[in-house]
Amino acid sequence: MVGPTRSPASPPTAAVPAKSRRPTGQFRDVWRRYRRNKLALIGLGIVGLLVFLAIFEPFLTPYSPFEQNLLNTTAPPGNGHVFGTDVLGRDMLSAVIYGAKLAVIVGVVTVLASLLVGVTLGAIAGFAGGATDAVIARVTDTFLAFPLLIGAILIVRTFGAGILPVIVALAIFGWTTAARLMRGQTLALRENEYVEAARSIGATNSRILTRHILPNAIAPVLVYSFTSIGVVVVAMASLSYLGVGVPADIPEWGRMISQANAFLRVPGKSHLWVFPSLAIVLTTLGFAFVADGLRDALDPKLRGRD
Amino acid sequence: MGKFILRRAAQALLVIIGATLLVFLANFAFGDPFGSTGDRQVPPAIAAANRAAFGLDQPLPLQYLTYMGNLFTGDLGVDYNQNRPVIELLIETVPNTARLALVAIVIDIFIGVTAGIIAAVKRYSFADVLVTVVSTLAIGIPTFVIGFVLVATLSGVGPFPTVPRSFTVEVPWYTEVLLPAFALAIVDAAFVARLMRGSMLEVLRSDYIRTARAKGLSERKVIGKHALRNSMIPVITYIGVSLGGLLGGAIITEGIFQYPGVGYLLFRAIGGNNAPVITAVVIFSVLAIVVLSLIVDILYAYLDPRIRLS
Repeated sequence: MVGPTRSPASPPTAAVPAKSRRPTGQFRDVWRRYRRNKLALIGLGIVGLLVFLAIFEPFLTPYSPFEQNLLNTTAPPGNGHVFGTDVLGRDMLSAVIYGAKLAVIVGVVTVLASLLVGVTLGAIAGFAGGATDAVIARVTDTFLAFPLLIGAILIVRTFGAGILPVIVALAIFGWTTAARLMRGQTLALRENEYVEAARSIGATNSRILTRHILPNAIAPVLVYSFTSIGVVVVAMASLSYLGVGVPADIPEWGRMISQANAFLRVPGKSHLWVFPSLAIVLTTLGFAFVADGLRDALDPKLRGRD
Repeated sequence: MGKFILRRAAQALLVIIGATLLVFLANFAFGDPFGSTGDRQVPPAIAAANRAAFGLDQPLPLQYLTYMGNLFTGDLGVDYNQNRPVIELLIETVPNTARLALVAIVIDIFIGVTAGIIAAVKRYSFADVLVTVVSTLAIGIPTFVIGFVLVATLSGVGPFPTVPRSFTVEVPWYTEVLLPAFALAIVDAAFVARLMRGSMLEVLRSDYIRTARAKGLSERKVIGKHALRNSMIPVITYIGVSLGGLLGGAIITEGIFQYPGVGYLLFRAIGGNNAPVITAVVIFSVLAIVVLSLIVDILYAYLDPRIRLS
């Protein structure tokens, strides 16, 4: 079962037997396993950078990301604009940084909202079983069979373009996987002896769920949520690219890329779409690496599987 | 087996009904398609006549029941723009999407399975590291960025049609299908390669492979015949589900390449607020996903007899 670790960051000698150490908290344990994975550390760096950009956006943007200068549009990088300027003469660097803020906010809020719905429904379905489970399962199936983008487009179209409609739309169609994961975990855990023990001393169902099952079931859901932040960022960009996401004047990565459409094959104008595309790719990769690292760190038994 | 299929079919029907209800509510919430909007002024009498012609003057539950009743006779209504039966629009576009989906899946399998096998057989070699690194990176790239790069670099080059497309110019199908198929396949192929590598490695550790080697079979036979069959099972499952999504229409990719499939049809219907088309395409997409996942489940039990359908 325990093969050689594939990570180049951990030569066999580095694998100090954990038992010889003094007892450590679970968090330190997870972190010790996490930092062995180089890609996971890179991912953490990218995510950290994004969060940093999101928080300090007003102090980091050299220009206002909304300020247009129609006399200086689509200027190539240089001349005071490190990433050049866009079709409306806005500073691209500032717009990309603002886009990072938007991506982080929408990604995190959407995933938190879908976790709230998914984890609650999944836990209830798995714990209650019977008719409740069947009803929740059919509802989940319906939303799961709905392609995410198509569903989101329908919702955003109904409520109009904007950041909140995008979040609501992506959350409505994004909770299903969390619900399934949580249901499976709850089903497996509810038969455990410690759950029985809790029940025997008179714990209520809600206490058993929140204090005994949830903490033990949450690991795979947590891993999944990091991957899905990347999915949400791409989905938001796709919506904006299609023209149904955030309003046109807000610097959002997908919107920036779609505005570059007309300049696709114009020489010297590739900065219009290369920088926002790179931002999206880096963001997805960052969250995917963190999710991979977390998966291995949270459950050592999974190590080495792809 | 028969019981399982029947139960899954009943579930699928429920999913279709639920999805149709969702689309109906979304279309209703969007508002009157025939009223005045901005610069387009419609006299109230004409708007009312239009609503009556399309049955929108009926109460919503009745509209829904009528639609569902018609659905089972193949009547999907009439579209708002060209007054053509929606089923005709589907018949025109579905073959294009099916072609795109199949070409994409073939590219997907070819690249993904080959790369996965090489990586697993030559574990820790340069090729393995290359496959692992490239597939890890490719998974992070959104399809629409790939599509964008392909349009920027290759559309209009050689046989590939220029985007934006001119639909008065007929092009051979393989020239318009290749770029979008490649854009769709590349991320999926990365997934398949990872899946293939993992499952092949697991199979190669099993006893019957050791037996096959012990009795002196050539390595080609051990890998190509004994190991490949069993390690394909999870890959086939993944590909089946993925094919279901593709058959339902890839709205972004078809939109970027202006490929005349159901995805692009939906793309335009949403822009033009063409509710009957939106509803029909969504039902079609959901149906494609549901049917393919049913087929995958059945295939799974057939390929791996240890799995019992219940």
